[in-house]
This record gives sequence, structure tokens and C-alpha cells, in this order.
Amino acid sequence: MRSLRFADKILAVMRRDLLTAVRYRSSFLMGAVAVLAELAAFYYLSRSIGPGFRPQGMGYFPFLLAGTGLYTFLMMGISSFVTSVQEAQQTGTLEVLMTSSTPPAMLVFLSAISAFLRNGVRLLFYCAAGLLLLSEGNLRIPNFAGCALVLIFSFVIAAAIGMAAAALQLSTQKGSAAMWLFGSVAWFMTGTLFPVQSLPRPLLRLAELIPVTHCLDALRLALFQSGNTAALGREILILAAFSLTLLPLSLLFFSRTLRRARLEGMLSAY
Amino acid sequence: MDSVILQSASKSFRNRPALFHWFSRSPAHKSQTGKNPAAKNWLGKESWGTTHALHEVSFSLAEGKVLVLLGPNGSGKTTTLKLVSTSLLPDGGRVLVDGRDTQRDSSFARQNVGFAIANERSFYPRLSARENLDFFAALNDVPGKLRKQRIEQLLERVGLSNVADTLAMNFSSGMYQRLGIARALLKMPSIVLLDEPTRSLDPASASHFCKLVRELAGDGAAILIASHNFQETAAVADSVLVLNQGKMMGHWQISAKSALRRTASVTATEIRNLYFQAIGESDSEEAQAVNQENHEILAICG
Repeated sequence: MRSLRFADKILAVMRRDLLTAVRYRSSFLMGAVAVLAELAAFYYLSRSIGPGFRPQGMGYFPFLLAGTGLYTFLMMGISSFVTSVQEAQQTGTLEVLMTSSTPPAMLVFLSAISAFLRNGVRLLFYCAAGLLLLSEGNLRIPNFAGCALVLIFSFVIAAAIGMAAAALQLSTQKGSAAMWLFGSVAWFMTGTLFPVQSLPRPLLRLAELIPVTHCLDALRLALFQSGNTAALGREILILAAFSLTLLPLSLLFFSRTLRRARLEGMLSAY
Repeated sequence: MDSVILQSASKSFRNRPALFHWFSRSPAHKSQTGKNPAAKNWLGKESWGTTHALHEVSFSLAEGKVLVLLGPNGSGKTTTLKLVSTSLLPDGGRVLVDGRDTQRDSSFARQNVGFAIANERSFYPRLSARENLDFFAALNDVPGKLRKQRIEQLLERVGLSNVADTLAMNFSSGMYQRLGIARALLKMPSIVLLDEPTRSLDPASASHFCKLVRELAGDGAAILIASHNFQETAAVADSVLVLNQGKMMGHWQISAKSALRRTASVTATEIRNLYFQAIGESDSEEAQAVNQENHEILAICG
């Protein structure tokens, strides 16, 4: 019964977002053009650098493709938690939503889930277009099971970080500033554009503590080095440990922050 | 049985700028009501003070009854509604919904309370009225089988059937208001909270609304309304509670209501007089003239 209701709510949220997206038609087309332009930029960047640069034993373009694709998926997903709370605060729907029968943490999760699905489709389109159009015939069969596991754990980690960011939005009304900081640090330190091994040792140690670093490494291994199952398995275990730790912590943080917002009357403040 | 009970409920807000909470913490908040003027924080700057929105307010509301909260702006009417809806939690005292404390069991309150807030922007503008209601119905656990029929009934009941497929962005204030009332009734709540429900309604819609409220009360719902409108109060209230600066200034049962409602003017005038006595302000001639004008427009409510 509960799972039916949950599925019903997911469908309702997705329907709302789909209808809203369809009624802003131009953004669909612009999004697709933006993806292609981004891919072209990375392709020519990798060509300018030349074939000699092979980070983690792979060509630079596939390295960039997996790094920037998954980074964007994660950051847009995390941001969607903040955005959903922020928009609900600004439109005045937050108070109404928070007095509905659905538990607040689930509401925030539901609001973000369709953004994740949208970004998931974008990631698939991004990687498929990059590999098919620009990989110059250097395709290998990826480890599909590994890819699926990496994406599932990446989703859980992003949801946990997103829930914490949503809590920050509730308490400080500036979750987007925290997201900007996290996004910039992650862009710099998690191996999106260059391998983390290039960083000085103290920063490298710090980078290893950021879950996004392991998400990117694991996806690259699953996509382009499918034979290296030992390394992939190790990365997946690390991702599982991050997931199991971060999700309960972020849920606890969110429920505490929400209670505080209700006590302080800051629920609808923005 | 009492559906809503407030026992010495108090609520204060520390008015501080976002992100800089720690800079604006004031050393003491001494005033009991109203805004605490010019307390200084540890940087020596004036802090934003504390607003005591509600101070030890107690009342109960039985099922099938309508209680109207009257009071000037900032008197704590909306805060009271928010405390019952659990979008705020009390600092002191208790709020009970159908016998359960909202602090301990807020999910129970959320399942049984429908809240029509005064904010007309609280809808998704690119969805139609029907689509908006469908979305909120899903979140309120209205079973899929019943949803369509209930939405149609509610749209009919609030007079929006003819614009059910119009995008909410094209709605007028009054239409938003009616859609908000429909949304509050989606889960068929035992307690209905209405914040200034006739503020943007035309006279015919206001009259229709008064009938709707009495019907809901007749079905057994407990209804709590925050209002500034004496005519609306006269038409629907079983009891009236006056708040001023967060304090309860008066609470009257309108026991012989049917007798008093021979004409709207009797009750509305009486309520207005009681109200101004309670808040300790005189009803100026100019205000009386405006009230009389309003009354003439809204007398249809009675």
C-alpha cells in the first residue's frame, strides 16, 4: 500500500515537471544544443592537447567525457534539492507542501527525483553522443553492471548531499551559495578535468575524502577499463560506504533543521 | 469533542537577517508583546528584536463549529492558524489536534488539517487548476480512484468548473483564493483553516463561500477562520475570538446566532462594536462609513 502511494507520488511529481517543461518548450531544444556545443569544446580541447596526454591510461577526450558528464549529473541533481526548496519558498508552495500528508523529507526527495531522471537522460545522451560521434572508433564494450552500480551509488550520494544542501537552504536561505562553493571545490579537486594525482599531496588526501572523486573514478573504470574489475570493485565498495554513512546523517540533519525552521517561523522565509 | 485545543500557546519570532544569525543575537528580549525596540547585539549594532506573535492564547473548537479570529494586522491570527497546521511549532503551551499534541505527532495533524493560506502564488503557474489539484491530491494520499471525482466535485463547489483547464498563471486573485479553498478540502479534513478567505472575492462568491462554510460545518468539520470582515464573521461564526498584539482580548459564543441573523446588519454591527471595545480602539466615523459601505456591498453574505 505504502509503495503504491510512493509510486503514485513519484508519478504526480514527474507529471507536474513534465507538463511544466513542455510548456516551456524552448528550453528542450536549447538544452540539446548546449550539450552538443559542450562536447565539441571538450573534443577540440583534447585534440589541442594531443594524443600523448593519457590520464589514468585512457585518451583525454573519454576522460573528459566521463568526468564532466557525471560531474554535471551529480551537481545538477544536488542543486535540484536546493532549487526545489528555494522555488517552493519563493512561490509560497513550501508551507502548503509541508502541511500535506507526505513526510517533508520525502517531499524534497520527490521534488528532486524528476530532476535526477532528467539529468540521467541528459547524461546518457551526452555520453552516447560523445562516444558515437567523437570517439574516432576507439570504443570498447563497457562494464554495464559496473556502470549501473556506480550510477545507483552516485545517485544515493548526491541525494544525501542534496538533502543536506536543502537543509542549509531552509536554515540560512542561502543553500545556493553553499552549493556554489561545493561545486567549485568539486570541479577543482575531484578529477573532472585532470587526474587528481596532479594535485599536491595534502590536496590529494582531501580529494580522496570527497565522494564525487570516487564516483568519477569508478565510472571511468566501468566505461573505459572494464577489464580492471579489482579496482572497480574497490571503488564501488568505497561508494557503498559513503552512501550508507551520508544518507542517514543528511536525513537527520534535514529533520532537525526543519523542526528548527518550524520553531523559528523561517519555513517560508527566503 | 474538541477538534482543536490551544492551551496557553505562545509563539515568538526573532527577527534577524538570514545568514548572519550570529551577528544579530540580542542580549535580552524583555518585551512581552509587540516588537522589542533597539536591543543591541555584541557588535554594538541594533539587533532586529523579537516579535511576540502570540502570548498564552487558549481556546477550543468543537467539531461542526466555526470559530472566527478577528484582529488588526499583526495580531497573531495567521500565526494561530499556522500553529494548528504545524507549519509553526509553539514555543510555549500546547496545540492539540483531535486530542494529539502537534509537537509530538505532527504527521497526524497534517493528515487531518486542511489549510487555505492567504498566498495566492502558492500554485504551479504552468499547470491548470485541475492539474494543480491533482498534484496536491496525490501528495495528500487521496486514492487514485477517488481523485478525479473529488477534484470535479470541489471545482464545482468553489465555482471553478468552467476554468478547470485554464493555466493557474491566468487566474485572478479571487480565482486563486477559491482554488486554495478547494485544495484545502482535497483530503476531506476534519479541521479546515482559512486565512482571510473572502479577501479577494466578489460579493456573489463571498456569499457562496459563506454557504460552503456552513455546509462544511454541517458535515462535522471544525472550521477556524482568520478574518477582518465583520459581515463574513456574522454570517458564518459560531464563536468569535479577538486577538490584539498576540493576546486574547475577547472570546464570545454566538449562541443565539439564528436570532441575531435576522438581518446581517445586527450581528455585523454588534461584532464590530465588541471588536473595537476589545482592542481598545474607537471606531472612527470615517471607519464606520467605510464599514457601512462594505456592509452594503456584502450584506448578501447574511
